[in-house]
Amino acid sequence: MTSAHPRSVRLAAAASALPLLALVGCAAPAATAPGAYDEWDQVLADAKGQTVQLWMYGGDDQGNAYVDDILAPAVAEYGVTLERVPVTDTRDALNRVFTELQAGRSDGTVDLIWVNGDNFRTGREADAWLCGWTDLLPSMANTDPADPLLESDFGTPVDGCEAPWHKAQFTLVYNADTVAEPPTTMAEVLDWAEANPGRFTYPAPPDFTGSVFVREVLASVSGGADEVPAAFSQAAFDELSPALYDRLTGLAPSLWRGGDTYPANEAELGQLFADGQVDMTMTYGPATLTDLVADGTYPAGTTVLPLEDGTVGNASFLGLPVNSDASAGAMVVANVALSVEQQVAKAKPDVWGQFTVLDIDGLDAADRSLFDALPQSPVVPPFDVLSRNAHGELSAEWVPALDEGWRTNVLSR
Amino acid sequence: MTRPTGSALTVSRGAGRAGRILVSAVLIVWFALPLLPLVLWSFADAWSYPSPLPTAWGVGGVEAATGFGAWPAFVRSIALGLAVAAIATPLGALAARALTFGAVPFPRTVSALLLAPIALPPFAAVLGVNVLLLRAFVPSVLGVVLVLVVLAIPYTAFVMRTAYGAYDRAYEDEARLLGASRLQVLRRVHLPMIAPALGRAAFLAFLVAWSDYIVTVIIGGGELVTLPLVVAGAAAGLGNDAAVAVMSLAAVVPPFLLLIATLSVGRSGRAGRSTTAGGARPRTPGVVATRTPASATPPKEKVPA
Repeated sequence: MTSAHPRSVRLAAAASALPLLALVGCAAPAATAPGAYDEWDQVLADAKGQTVQLWMYGGDDQGNAYVDDILAPAVAEYGVTLERVPVTDTRDALNRVFTELQAGRSDGTVDLIWVNGDNFRTGREADAWLCGWTDLLPSMANTDPADPLLESDFGTPVDGCEAPWHKAQFTLVYNADTVAEPPTTMAEVLDWAEANPGRFTYPAPPDFTGSVFVREVLASVSGGADEVPAAFSQAAFDELSPALYDRLTGLAPSLWRGGDTYPANEAELGQLFADGQVDMTMTYGPATLTDLVADGTYPAGTTVLPLEDGTVGNASFLGLPVNSDASAGAMVVANVALSVEQQVAKAKPDVWGQFTVLDIDGLDAADRSLFDALPQSPVVPPFDVLSRNAHGELSAEWVPALDEGWRTNVLSR
Repeated sequence: MTRPTGSALTVSRGAGRAGRILVSAVLIVWFALPLLPLVLWSFADAWSYPSPLPTAWGVGGVEAATGFGAWPAFVRSIALGLAVAAIATPLGALAARALTFGAVPFPRTVSALLLAPIALPPFAAVLGVNVLLLRAFVPSVLGVVLVLVVLAIPYTAFVMRTAYGAYDRAYEDEARLLGASRLQVLRRVHLPMIAPALGRAAFLAFLVAWSDYIVTVIIGGGELVTLPLVVAGAAAGLGNDAAVAVMSLAAVVPPFLLLIATLSVGRSGRAGRSTTAGGARPRTPGVVATRTPASATPPKEKVPA
């Protein structure tokens, strides 16, 4: 799990919410209809005195500190009290919303969720999000309306059902003290792993990070990300996946512990990297790297590995449940979180290091200079370097098919 | 450990004594050993494989734990534990007394029902009951307390049943015959006799609430962020080992202190002041004479051994 994306629900795990989903349909409509606000001043007036509960993954101390010490005081100026609810998994927050909807409660306790990907899609299928409210936010003017990362979230159209918060880029990381000549493409990474047995591994899908890695290898063995159609079809899967599984099965004996076992998640892989048992790790949240090196968790030689073929990027958002009892306050929080001032503060490597979702080129000179003046992280390159040749996420239907294929072909080789 | 009684026949000596001390020592090590890595991690600013000991010492873990919001959560956890213990203990005691002294039809079935919450998978039960609580507009925090009380009652009822199993109601009858009021019997006879068991039951009820995660998350709906929530959140991240260790160690302290307090309850061997009429307020003899026994069912005749 990383700081840069709320932990995405695996489809299989999301099944736990399905019984609830089935019942949500008969829920009472929320008190605040999306059309209730057409004036930002109305929102500001209603928000005064409201308490907003922001549910977010709680394992990132920098993220927690940012919300508690920087964002909360900023929204307090609007008379909004921001409370952070730590969860181990974003699904907990969604389950809470589904239960409230099932019980017909329109005074929900979840006002904002840090969300993206599968969780967002699950919420949309259940009509759990308030939609069409982000156009009201004055800060949205500074985003690029044509930005593909903000238009669709893992293939699910955003439709104003969540407000953008950060951008993230899937990143490979290596220890420069032990890897003299780092590879430059995904194919070379796999070759490097075979040349250095036991020094590389990846989390086992369906873990979020391991699953992303498998999709990146799929793009590599297919001859580039453009060769993999974003929309899932069985035909495309049958055509492209054999080469992927052959490659990963051939790679397995060269992995950590001979590929007999895999780290369960990104944190376990990170621990192996921190302990010097492997020389590479990977994360969808490079923002955490600066702090992990600074506090000595990761070795001093930790360096981001730029790939010529580029990696996948995404954005994460703040979703507003349809039954929130403080939707005006939640909109104010989302707006402040999206302001230039907060996006700059959040992007500082010693604060949180999260990449902005704003369109920096479109900002006026004064605001742009704030971003230009951001201190450079000693570990993480700027976003434009990280996201060079970036490609979009495949649609969500690819994920379970590839994960299941990995289990039957690679794990049980 | 029980102190050997004064009787010369029961004092262990020689090999038996050595054996007992050895077993005790092994048990203490067995229970303390898992805490050792926690202690080391708490004061480790860095601890990398394959070093057997931390590679850098410091108190960064305490600062990090503070950053996660551990201490307010700690206070909330204690409040929740005390609230659950305060409700579940008397309820368990009442249930146990009624079951033991035959005031309940089908006592075996009722006992099984009382133990049922232990057998249920909590996640399923909690998700189901949560919809009900939400429909009934029960405030989240109250809902957490209610559900945890239900989960704690099997433990309290079980402990109190064993206590009442060894409880001689003849003492109560005697006090009543000597003119004590019901309240006085409760305060001077009944409660002192079951005090150690009440302490044990309350301790278990406290533990149920103290360690709960799932009920607090789902039913609390974020209104009640307790220590287990903060620890779980931190443990899901990377590089938080020291903070998690500090919080986990802190989480051991209140139960440990309560355990010591529980063991000392009743140890003090209350110099039970005689519960004769001397302790009772003077009353008109007529009232005493016309009082009916406390319970409808007369106490079973105690057969002398």
